[in-house]
Amino acid sequence: MIEAKDISREYDDGAKGRLKVLDGVSLSVAQGEFVAIVGRSGSGKSTLLHVLGGLDTDFRGQVTVAGTRLDGLPDAALSRFRNETVGFVFQSFHLMSGVSALENVLLPARFSATPVTDLEGRAKAALDRVGLTSHAARNPGQLSGGERQRVAIARALFSSPKVLLCDEPTGNLDAETADGVVALFKQLNASGLTIVAVTHEDRLRGAASRVLTLSKGVLS
Amino acid sequence: MSGSLWPLVKLSLSRDRRSAISSTFGLAIGVASLVFFVSLGLGVGRIVREKVFPVDTSLVEVVPAQLSFGLLGGGTLDEPTVARLEALPGVKRAYKKMNVRAPAVTIYRGDFFGRPLHMGLEILAVGVEPDFIKSDLMLGDFADPGPDKPIPAIASTRLLEIYNKSFAPQRSLPQLSGQMLAGFIFPVDFNRSFVTSTNPNESAIPSQAQLVGVSDRAMLAGITIPLDAARRLNAAANKDAKTFTAVTLAATDPSQVPQLVAAVKAMGLRVDDQDRRMAENAGAAVAISTSSLALLSVLICLLAAFNIAHAFSASVRAREKELGVMRAVGASRSALFRLVLVEALLLGLLGGVIGTALALLAGYGLDVAAVRFVPEFPFKPETWFERPLWLMGGGVVLGVLAAVAGAFLPARHASRTAPVRVLAG
Repeated sequence: MIEAKDISREYDDGAKGRLKVLDGVSLSVAQGEFVAIVGRSGSGKSTLLHVLGGLDTDFRGQVTVAGTRLDGLPDAALSRFRNETVGFVFQSFHLMSGVSALENVLLPARFSATPVTDLEGRAKAALDRVGLTSHAARNPGQLSGGERQRVAIARALFSSPKVLLCDEPTGNLDAETADGVVALFKQLNASGLTIVAVTHEDRLRGAASRVLTLSKGVLS
Repeated sequence: MSGSLWPLVKLSLSRDRRSAISSTFGLAIGVASLVFFVSLGLGVGRIVREKVFPVDTSLVEVVPAQLSFGLLGGGTLDEPTVARLEALPGVKRAYKKMNVRAPAVTIYRGDFFGRPLHMGLEILAVGVEPDFIKSDLMLGDFADPGPDKPIPAIASTRLLEIYNKSFAPQRSLPQLSGQMLAGFIFPVDFNRSFVTSTNPNESAIPSQAQLVGVSDRAMLAGITIPLDAARRLNAAANKDAKTFTAVTLAATDPSQVPQLVAAVKAMGLRVDDQDRRMAENAGAAVAISTSSLALLSVLICLLAAFNIAHAFSASVRAREKELGVMRAVGASRSALFRLVLVEALLLGLLGGVIGTALALLAGYGLDVAAVRFVPEFPFKPETWFERPLWLMGGGVVLGVLAAVAGAFLPARHASRTAPVRVLAG
């Protein structure tokens, strides 16, 4: 499902010069796998996730996700890839305020390159998968942290992605709520969804079928 | 992209309602002032063009040169000269005109449309060919009836307007229309004057004139009679009855006029373009005033565009995270660019429509106020405004263009949102 070869990524670090965050990282993830990438803060976990999801294009190396080669892909094609092939879940949820959970879940449909039928039906189905059918009309401000993250997961699931990319998805949740979200990931993975999550939390590490460690730009 | 951006546009505008209202208001004021002033300028221009100085742009008034060169040519307007004028390229028709060269007065004592009137007036008369004024003729065929019969006469539309709006109200005389005047007979004594001495050996020629219509082509301060009647009266008064006072050339097309004027001058004749120049000067004054006010309005629109640029810049900065999420779920750079521009376009459309509607309302209000509170005066119009569709559409388009121009840079900034940066943490 994911083939990353020799990925390198550097940042301009001001007076210190160039900071190498990824140094020739290679990664292979099979379909249906649940991979957790762990490492200390600033080790490059999020950067690797952004590269795999087509959000960060300023890297060297080759990345192929679900048959799509990402390096060198033009913006329109890359956007379509993000819309149809992957789903992102962020630590801070990043929901739109002032609109309902349902409207948040529908966000990918607003940028879909192909006509999507029965938008509301699909959005409700996505909310149903995360157990929030009854919360469809609520605004993010009326939801708990765990519920917000579930809405964010439903948004990521809306386009039926092949891969779910999660960046510290339980980082902002209390232990009990985080357990619920991890259980949801396990359930989604059990239904065949490939998941790559970067985390420094044990509970998510424990749920993954494979754990990789990123340190000093190198994956092991 | 087949997904609809409308829900996102609506969401954004409704969330930042105060800024949207402020932006729309600024645009509406700019568009309203532009549409109002241009509409007023067009309206006043039309009044000047059609009522105050009605000038037919395809006509050229040829008059004799002030100095005659005798054998060298130039000078008088006789039949051979008229024939040469008519043969000039671009001339459709030449209309001869001859002043009645003897003085004339009218002394009216009697009933004037239900009011007693006692009036003595020095009048001028010019003879023209029937075809020249036939479209304004209401009675008869405008031919010289011979001595002892009333001479058909045409009055000036402008003179009638001045009478109705200035003279009649002050003297408590009735308001008149062309139809009412048609058939009205009044005495005219030719070869008689209140103001100049006449030859005591030449007796007055008592006559009558019958109004048969009103026309923009008629002499302003006098009566316009058949050319043959003018000839007859000049002959009877021992005046020149052969040469013409003027010849009006009708050009095949207004674009031919400059060449015609040059050809006429080359023949040693003059072109009397006093009316045309007055119309042009008045028109230019209106155009300059309108342009100045329109420029001011465009400046207001520019300020509105800056206001929109400022508001959208702030909005894009505040929505950076949201724009980053949109990028993450599949928004392309061009989609985000369009999203912001469509928001601005909606505000521009709204501002343009509201501004145009405000201008129309203000115009109608001013028209109503003018009818109620401004005293009657010559050429006072029913409406001071012209409201062509292109102006209404132009107002809306201006609103949209100002908004889109203002939002262009913020939209570009939005399209360059780096999701990795804004979504970190």
